[in-house]
Amino acid sequence: MIAQLLLTIAQGVGLTLYVTGASLLFGGAIGLVLVAAVRSRIPVISGIATLYINVVRVVPPITWLFLIYFGLPQYALRLSAIQAAIVGFSLIASAFMAEIYRSGLLSIPDAQREAAHALGLSPVATVGHIITPQAFRVALPAVASYAIGLLKDSALASTIGVREITYYAQQSARQTHEGLLSFIIAGVLYIVISLVVAVISRRVDLRLRRKIGVA
Amino acid sequence: MVFSFGTRTPPTALTGEVVVSGLGKSYGASRVLSDVNLTMNEGEVVSIIGPSGAGKSTFLRCLNYLETPTEGTIEIGGARVVAGGKRPDKASLDHLRRVTGMVFQSFNLFPHLTVMENITLPQRKVLGASKEEAQEVANKLLKRVGLPDKAEQYPARLSGGQQQRIAIARALALSPKVMLFDEPTSALDPEIGLEVLAVMRDLADEGMTMIVVTHEMHFARDVSDRIMVMGNGGVLEIGPSEQVMSQPQNERTRQFLKAVLDR
Repeated sequence: MIAQLLLTIAQGVGLTLYVTGASLLFGGAIGLVLVAAVRSRIPVISGIATLYINVVRVVPPITWLFLIYFGLPQYALRLSAIQAAIVGFSLIASAFMAEIYRSGLLSIPDAQREAAHALGLSPVATVGHIITPQAFRVALPAVASYAIGLLKDSALASTIGVREITYYAQQSARQTHEGLLSFIIAGVLYIVISLVVAVISRRVDLRLRRKIGVA
Repeated sequence: MVFSFGTRTPPTALTGEVVVSGLGKSYGASRVLSDVNLTMNEGEVVSIIGPSGAGKSTFLRCLNYLETPTEGTIEIGGARVVAGGKRPDKASLDHLRRVTGMVFQSFNLFPHLTVMENITLPQRKVLGASKEEAQEVANKLLKRVGLPDKAEQYPARLSGGQQQRIAIARALALSPKVMLFDEPTSALDPEIGLEVLAVMRDLADEGMTMIVVTHEMHFARDVSDRIMVMGNGGVLEIGPSEQVMSQPQNERTRQFLKAVLDR
C-alpha cells in the first residue's frame, strides 16, 4: 500500500522541482535587475522598484496564482496552469531575492569599495570582482532558506491544477481513502528535497567559509 | 600675470611631484578642511601629525578623491584636478588614482581573493597586464615586503602586519608615483607595527614619494623629510622634521607634541 501510494505521489516530484527551480531561476534573475533599480540614483526608478517589491511581498502567493490563472484570461492572456504557477512564483521570488541581494550588498563594508576605487578599478570591475562575489557569499544561506520556502509554497500550485506532489497526494487520498498516509508521504517527500537543498548549501557555505575564513 | 613686491612666486608657477593649493572641504556650513597647501619634490617623504579630528585623514583622502574636496587644486605626478564646481571628468580622476597608491588603516585587502589575486587583479583590470606579467610583478613585490611564501594564502590567514605589507605590495604593483598612507600602523600592536614601518622605511630609502598620516613620532622624525602638523582642519605648521619636533613654532603644536612625547 505504502509503496503504491509513494509511487503515485512521487510522480509529482518532477513538477514540484520544475516549478520551484524555474521560479527561483527567473526570480533570481529579475531580482538582480530589481536590486539594481532600487539602488538607482534616479528617484522614479528606485521608487517604482521599491513599490513593486513591497506590493508583491504583501499579497499572499495564492492570491497571485488565482489572479494570474483565473484573472488574466479575462484580458486574453491565457496561460497553462504550469506557466501561471511559474509566472506567479517568479514574480514573488524576484521581490524576495531582491531583498536578499540587497542585504548581501549592504553587508560589504564601504572600505572594500574605497580600496577598489583607490586602486583605480572601474565601477564595473568593482561590482563584478570585488562586491558581488563577497555579497554572494553572505547571501547564500538566505538564498538556500528562501529556496526551501519556495519549495513549500509550490504546493499551492495544486490549487490551479498543477500536477505536483500535493496534487497527487490529494488525488490518492480521495481514491484510496488513505488520507493520513497520502499526506504523510507528501510531507516526507518535501522533507527529503529540503534536506538535499540544505546539505548542498551547507557544503558550499562551509567551503567558502574555510577558504575565506570570515564569520 | 601681475607680480607684487618681493620674491613670492604665484602658486601656479610651483613645480613638484605634488602641488596641492588652497585645498578645502565643507559640508554645508561646516568646514572640515581649509586652505591646505603642500608642495613636494619627487622622493620626498612628508608625515602628517596632529590631534584626532584635525582633518589629517580627510586631507589625505581628498588627494585621490575618496573624499571630494570643495575648493583648491591637486596636482600629482602629472594629474591635475580642480575642485569645486562640477565634478572632475572621469579621465582626470582615473589619472589621479593611477599616480597615487593608498594604504589604509584597516588594510582593506579583498578577503575573497588570495594574496596573489589581490595583487594581480588590479594590475590586470587597471593596467591591462597579462596574468604572467602580473604574477611576475607580484612575486617580486612579495619578496620585497618579506612575504614570498604567502602568495596562495587568503588574507584572513595572515596577521595584521602581514596583511598591511600585502596591502603595500598591492598598491606598489600599479607603479604609483606617490604613496599615501592613512595611519598604516594604528590598527596594529606596537611590535607588529614595526615590520610595517620597516617596509615603509625601505620604500622611502628607495626614493618613493610618500605622504604619511601617522601617530608614530619616531617614524615621523627619522624617516620623513618634513612634518606637517594639522589642527582644526588646517595646517598649523610645516617644516623639516627635526625642527618641528624639537622647536615647534606653533603653540598648539607644542601642546600636542608634549602630550604625545611625555606619554
